[in-house]
Amino acid sequence: MGRGGLAITTLASPSLGSDTLAVEVTGITKRFPGVVANKDITFSVRRGTVHALVGENGAGKSTLMKILYGVQRQDEGTIAINGAQVDLHSPADAISSGIGMVFQHFMLADNLTVLENVVLGAERLHGISGGARREIRRISAEFGLDVDPDDLVANLGVGDRQRVEILKVLYRGAKILILDEPTAVLVPQEVDELFDNLRELKADGLTVIFISHKLDEVLSVADDITVIRRGTTVASVDPKTVNARQLAELMVGSQLPTPETSESTVTDRVVLSLRDITLAGSEGRNLLTDIDLDIHAGEIVGIAGVEGNGQAELVEVIMGMREPSAGIVKLEGTDISAWEVREIREAGVGYIPEDRHRHGLLLDAPLWENRILGHQTERPNVRGQLIDAKSAKADTERIVREYDVRTPSIHVTAGSLSGGNQQKLIVGREMSHNPKVLIAAHPTRGVDVGAQASIWDLIRKARHEGLGVLLISADLEELIGLSDTIRVILRGRLTGTFDPDTVTSQDLGSAMTGADGSHDVGAHDAPSDAPQDLR
Amino acid sequence: MTNANLRRALLSVAAPLLALLVAVALTSLVLLALGDPVRDVWITMLSKPKPRQLTNIVNGAIVLYLSAIAVAVGFKMNLFNIGVDGQYRVGSFAAALFAGQAWLPGILNVIVAIIVSMAAGGLWASLAAYLKVKRGVSEVISTIMLNAIATGLVSWLLLKVAVQEAGSNAISTKVIPESSQLAGWKLIPGESNRVFSLLALAVLVGALYWFILGKTRFGFDLRATGSSETAAVASGVKVKRMVMTAMIASGALAGLVGMPLLFGQDYSYGTTFQAGLGFAGIGIALLGRNHPIGIAFAALLWSFLDTQANALQIRAGVAPELVYIIQGIILFAVVIAYEGTRRLDVRLEQQRVARELAALRAARVTEGAAA
Amino acid sequence: MRPLLKVAAVISVGTMALAGCGGSTSKESTTAGGSSSATSGSATSSSAAASDVKVGMAYDVGGRGDQSFNDAAAAGLDKAKADFGIDIKEATAVNGENEAAREERLNQLVDAGYTNIVAVGFAYAASVGKVAKENPDVHFAIIDDASDASKAANVAQLTFAENEGSFLVGAAAALKSKAGHIGFVGGVNVPLIVKFQAGFEAGAKAVNPKIKIDSTYLTQPPDFSGFGDPAKGKTAAEGMFQGGADVVYHAAGGSGAGVFTAAKAAKAWAIGVDSDQAKTAEAGVRDVILTSMLKKVDVAVYDYLSKAVKGEAAAGNIVYDLKADGVGYSTTGGHIDDIVAKLDEYKAKIISGEIKVPATM
Repeated sequence: MGRGGLAITTLASPSLGSDTLAVEVTGITKRFPGVVANKDITFSVRRGTVHALVGENGAGKSTLMKILYGVQRQDEGTIAINGAQVDLHSPADAISSGIGMVFQHFMLADNLTVLENVVLGAERLHGISGGARREIRRISAEFGLDVDPDDLVANLGVGDRQRVEILKVLYRGAKILILDEPTAVLVPQEVDELFDNLRELKADGLTVIFISHKLDEVLSVADDITVIRRGTTVASVDPKTVNARQLAELMVGSQLPTPETSESTVTDRVVLSLRDITLAGSEGRNLLTDIDLDIHAGEIVGIAGVEGNGQAELVEVIMGMREPSAGIVKLEGTDISAWEVREIREAGVGYIPEDRHRHGLLLDAPLWENRILGHQTERPNVRGQLIDAKSAKADTERIVREYDVRTPSIHVTAGSLSGGNQQKLIVGREMSHNPKVLIAAHPTRGVDVGAQASIWDLIRKARHEGLGVLLISADLEELIGLSDTIRVILRGRLTGTFDPDTVTSQDLGSAMTGADGSHDVGAHDAPSDAPQDLR
Repeated sequence: MTNANLRRALLSVAAPLLALLVAVALTSLVLLALGDPVRDVWITMLSKPKPRQLTNIVNGAIVLYLSAIAVAVGFKMNLFNIGVDGQYRVGSFAAALFAGQAWLPGILNVIVAIIVSMAAGGLWASLAAYLKVKRGVSEVISTIMLNAIATGLVSWLLLKVAVQEAGSNAISTKVIPESSQLAGWKLIPGESNRVFSLLALAVLVGALYWFILGKTRFGFDLRATGSSETAAVASGVKVKRMVMTAMIASGALAGLVGMPLLFGQDYSYGTTFQAGLGFAGIGIALLGRNHPIGIAFAALLWSFLDTQANALQIRAGVAPELVYIIQGIILFAVVIAYEGTRRLDVRLEQQRVARELAALRAARVTEGAAA
Repeated sequence: MRPLLKVAAVISVGTMALAGCGGSTSKESTTAGGSSSATSGSATSSSAAASDVKVGMAYDVGGRGDQSFNDAAAAGLDKAKADFGIDIKEATAVNGENEAAREERLNQLVDAGYTNIVAVGFAYAASVGKVAKENPDVHFAIIDDASDASKAANVAQLTFAENEGSFLVGAAAALKSKAGHIGFVGGVNVPLIVKFQAGFEAGAKAVNPKIKIDSTYLTQPPDFSGFGDPAKGKTAAEGMFQGGADVVYHAAGGSGAGVFTAAKAAKAWAIGVDSDQAKTAEAGVRDVILTSMLKKVDVAVYDYLSKAVKGEAAAGNIVYDLKADGVGYSTTGGHIDDIVAKLDEYKAKIISGEIKVPATM
């Protein structure tokens, strides 16, 4: 990224005595091949506070957390809990030191009750029935978690499940809770409830380490903030004295790129149109219902929605991976509803999949073979039935050059590149076959800021060249910045249309949960109604 | 990049060599524990084979090679075709039955019989493929079942059609006409026995395997499916059709396994026809890393060990089963060594990419105007 | 090890010795014992001193210790070694080997200087034929094969009339069965074992034409596990006993142990095979063994070797039948003492040719 220059002046050293410190991390370094690891991480967490660790994706937060929870060992540096230095070799060590971890991906068994999930692996603490049930009720009441031990987890919503996870670590006696991106899966209302819970925990003298990159949330709940950038701690700041913009610039280390598009290039020529698309689910419930959507040449249509409301299914229907139960998909006037994936891709639909590791790349294969993937029938990759390795390699070199894929060679495996460079390769590949439509699902998820900016540029360029772009994203700023039109998806229906020039994140947030009245069902159970896709 | 290729080549050679060393060491320990003569065993094992034995080693390897290639086709797309064993017996039986009728003259009889065998093997494998695609039955389970059924079916049919020579306790299909018996090649001087003529078939199959998998669209789709089924689906591969095709191809190749034996040695299918080749093929494909050249070396090694089983008991006085132990340990060691070097390779590659990018970045920063 | 077998062997050998080296015969098939001509083919006059005979034994899968016919062959070898002090070397087939491996085994024994090579089992037929022709100075013997494949001037083909022995135990079974219902458990469905079945059923029907006979095979070739899987034998025999059979004859090698267990549990009779199993089976089940069909592989091997030591090289097909006392039945335990007379009647009729015992079904 090479953006040097911003001097770090805010690295505040905590002047508090160690008797009030719950966690002291000093000089943690962890080396990993090929990815951003930790370098000289130093920060302190005061007891009875919510301490936020913020940083971009890939800044090294996850590694740090794993070290704190004993999943990985630091190469250098020390960790002190309540003033005493500890050696964490395993999560069991961490638990016995009073550290509990609430993972972003819930680790609950759906077919067991809350009680069973909580006691699983901790049977010796309070038994598995009466005693445990009393203890769960006590914890639930004390911290306002509102958890019933006899509920079946399968029936719980996302927020409830998260509270069960929190209860699980409290049950095991944790005094220091680490929450990894806890709000990523929550709708705004649930976020508020979570923060209330955190405040209760804090009031009872517990310590919370809160990991996030959502700055508004961090500012609203944290007592202290430590910023991590490129694997190291660059600042500890007081939330009362910084605003989101400043915090973001600390995280990024430079001025923020913005995803704004220039003047409209929207034409009146429809390139992709969906009419009455319905997709039946396995349990008699529709995954998609009556989707009508037009994408014009030169237009970016953004789809906003809480994850799991049908976005993935919508993409799969367009790409031909699923056949809709009803309705038609037309590409430039031709009905492609019954086409195979390959025909659709050949016809000019570019695809940036939501999960590039599972759907976009062969991680063990070299870049030039990944350049062939998805276009196995098209030049320059093939000549008749034969793979044209020479042309494919030459074209991969071109993509690497033109799309700024940072790689030493086109012969390295795709898996050895960083997420951003993988994504640039995919975008380059998809743009190399003169697509008419580009389906971009979460194109900047998990990529670093530099790559994010270039991917935005590429999408804007595609729009400028007259492509119709369907942009699905969880990042509302990205949606508002890039889209010409924003549609909201809720429970498999397109429920609202917004003009990105006038809409705010708050408006979108309400529409996404149905709280704006566009949908008559309460927001609370929205996410649990759709398949849980909490990747 | 030549660097990376060199490293990969070194690693891929180092892994099996390491595994061999481990196997030697562990086998020696087993021998010591059992009180067998360690030194004699290795002297016998590593003694220079006579020309006759060389021929046997090559002949054994030809058959094993075909079996391993049949297995490898499945492996390349994560299909575990345990059923090569049944498929080659069904195929060999069908071919022997056909060739024994002598409907066609000479070499034509051989060629058509080979096609019959491939068809029978492919058909047998298609049952497992169908069950997997339409009913979601794991091919591991179905092919194991089909092996058992193949055993029963073939011996039942054999009893129906068999001719029993006077005074013999063995039964077999009718012996194929002399004009269709392949004399073999005198490749190795100094002995009367000859290398199977169908060595040519094995070479051809190896070349086709390399070409189709590495150089064609079909091969790319197949490898992509094996590497990541989800990515293959998203790229437009029809995975079910691919499973069907790969499984049937694997079965058709399995049909070739018995052909060198049928036309170069046994001239009929009977109770003494070599069994268990399909299972050996699994190990050899693993050892040879599904690579046409690697499999050739693995097959030669396997066949060498098989051949030495006799020398071991006659000259070193240990049980021939020792060879099984050695083969088993080699496989174990190889699987472990391959996984180890694979991880090492991934790490080295990531490190190199990171290092080279860091160097690049540093260069840009010195240029100054980069940002 | 098995005293009775040894006695039998000695007697048999005695007979052989008496028979001496009758003049060479052009007959394809001769009987081993009796006064008729035991064959000596070509190369009669190697006149080796005892110590010059070096014996290579090539066993079938399972080898020494299989409690079946490999062991019987080994017993003959052991006795020959004890009596003549000959040098021996043993090698065993491994499962799933091909023709080349069998040839190689014989070749290795030739290379190592063994003068008399005994191949145990019909699987060696083609390889014995081939290697014998390539090495005319080495003498070979093959057990259970008399086909053209193994025929050569320096090959002795030692075969047995298993059907004749089985006829007698079949008759014994029919005589002893109260239910009029007996059973046969074959190890693997190969012609050799079918020969046992054919003789057994013929013998039983000779006694009682209306007798009910259940017959089954444990496995089909190339799966030869039916010769070494007591669990399979037990299941098969249990089925027969539950179905009403009260005597079951097994020709299933090591699987026979399961048949005995099942007979013990059902309080019924079992009939052993190859050796006198009332002496060799596990002590706990010996009392359910009515009799055993004796197939004297040990005698055949000992015969062959003793001749070799004397410098005679046997060749051609030597049939060990009832007449030659190469097959028979055991009386250990005295369970069939009351019917021995009857059985001997049948035996005489078979020897005289009055009864022709079928060898196939």
